[in-house]
Amino acid sequence: MQYDPNSPIWLQVMTAIKTDIVTGKRAPGEKLPGGRDLALQYTINPNTAARVYQELEKEGLCETRRGLGTFVTEDAARIGVLRTEMAHQAVRQFLENMEKLGIYANEAARMIMEEEQ
Amino acid sequence: MSKLMKYEFRKTLATKLILLGITAVAEIAFLLGLYLEKTRLLATSVAILTLLAIGGILMIGLGSILIFHRDINTKQSYMLFMTPNSCYKILGAKVIENGLSILLGGAFFFTLGAIDIALLFAKEGNIQEMWKWIEDLIHSINKNIQLDAKGLACVTFGLLSSWIATVTTAYLAEAVSAALLNGKKYNGVLSFALFLVITILLSWLGQKATQAIVSVNLGFLIQGGIFLLASGLMYVATAQTMERKLSV
Amino acid sequence: MLESRAITKIFGSKTAVDHITLKLEKGHVYAMLGPNGSGKTTWMKMAAGLIKPTSGEALFEGAPVSIESRKHVAYMSTEPYFYSWMTVKDVGKYYDDFFLDFSYPRYQALIQRMELAENMKTTALSSGMMAKLKIAVTMARDAQVYMLDEPFNGIDLLARDEIRHCILEYATEEKLLLLSSHLVEEMEAIADRAVFIKNGRLIECVDVEEMRGERGISMADRYREIYGHGEGAMA
Repeated sequence: MQYDPNSPIWLQVMTAIKTDIVTGKRAPGEKLPGGRDLALQYTINPNTAARVYQELEKEGLCETRRGLGTFVTEDAARIGVLRTEMAHQAVRQFLENMEKLGIYANEAARMIMEEEQ
Repeated sequence: MSKLMKYEFRKTLATKLILLGITAVAEIAFLLGLYLEKTRLLATSVAILTLLAIGGILMIGLGSILIFHRDINTKQSYMLFMTPNSCYKILGAKVIENGLSILLGGAFFFTLGAIDIALLFAKEGNIQEMWKWIEDLIHSINKNIQLDAKGLACVTFGLLSSWIATVTTAYLAEAVSAALLNGKKYNGVLSFALFLVITILLSWLGQKATQAIVSVNLGFLIQGGIFLLASGLMYVATAQTMERKLSV
Repeated sequence: MLESRAITKIFGSKTAVDHITLKLEKGHVYAMLGPNGSGKTTWMKMAAGLIKPTSGEALFEGAPVSIESRKHVAYMSTEPYFYSWMTVKDVGKYYDDFFLDFSYPRYQALIQRMELAENMKTTALSSGMMAKLKIAVTMARDAQVYMLDEPFNGIDLLARDEIRHCILEYATEEKLLLLSSHLVEEMEAIADRAVFIKNGRLIECVDVEEMRGERGISMADRYREIYGHGEGAMA
């Protein structure tokens, strides 16, 4: 994975895992790699990897069971919310980029429709 | 310590093997010359063997000074100084390995020489007369020198010990040069001067100490003892210098 | 775990390290950054006990670095330092002879990963292979501190990934890793703290993720700020 070194790497890895959860690549209830394995998988510092799980847990997207490891939440509603959140974020990002070109929401929406046809 | 010595031995192995190889060739030439009665071959091989005995012992000492120089002045030094061994151990392995090499090398050439002379006597009767003549000549200089195996062994021991003292003095000069004078002006000159002064002082001391002793054999033994003791002092001074001041 | 107190090294008229006080804690991977000649190597060699400081001191677990600390601190220098008669196998045997924490099986596994063979002569190795050999033999120790001076120098892209992995495998809560490099990008993701050294002086020691979060800049950006031409405000 290529990182943008200007923003926290834990945030980038967290986003990657969130995407996996939303797309079902990591199923609800699935066991996630241990902190050290996560660090190796993503070639990141182990403290950064630990931070990723801390934050995911804080957002209720995964849970650590003592002695067993970290698991993706089985709460389908929570994953649904995540999906919506991420979609909104993608839209906001898109709109920001369009604004830089001087294109605002209405026109952007029209352009999307055109593209669809 | 034994592991350090193993590697010191490994470092000097090539020199020793070369020396041994040349000696073997010269010895074969000597035997061929002796039994095929080729006088020129015999004479040449005797000359070469004599040179080898002296040169070989010198080479072992010089080689070890060179290795020590590299071990404290080049990147190779990390090999020794990153290991959990004190300078006393690191240097101790060198001193013991080298001291033993010189003594054993000396014993080797001494034995080989004794065997060759015995063979020569057995084959050529008239050489015995020549030997007698040499003995008389030496006795006319000093009545106490005995040209027998015992006497020669004492002389050899004295000479080898003085060489070991010279080598350990060179270690000290090397350590002072690398640890105290490094980067300073006249480093080379000063450390060499230190080496010369100590060497001259030691030989003067060796002479003074044995002046009153009548038996030449005993004199050489005592001198040898003094030189070995001096080698021990050089070792302590060198290790202390390294321990306190050497950066590699 | 590893620290220096006002440590200073003067070579002739040049001050290589100038009163650096620095405390490195276990459980972290530190990137020691600065251009060539900034004092990184000298600091490391003093911490390894190879160079004696002109003043100040280096401590391991609160005690001055010594023969004892060499048992727990693995140092890898930039320059090759093996004896010329050695093969890859001899190098491993040498470490095995002197370091109790060295594991020969692990060494064998590492040289295999690095695509080296035991019968190779060290004098015949390319600079990249030599760099890999140094890493393999150093990381085959189970030390408490690893100090690697320029571990990525002369190493191709694929082998760099291998080395990063190898480093991360050993970066546990109990260990301290210190990597120096001028290839800053190689260390962005694996180091969590960065030590910046300039002209022998310590500029700062920062948490890199915090810096990314708070200032939105990378280690490389900070490097440019400190050493680049627009440095007026910094120095």
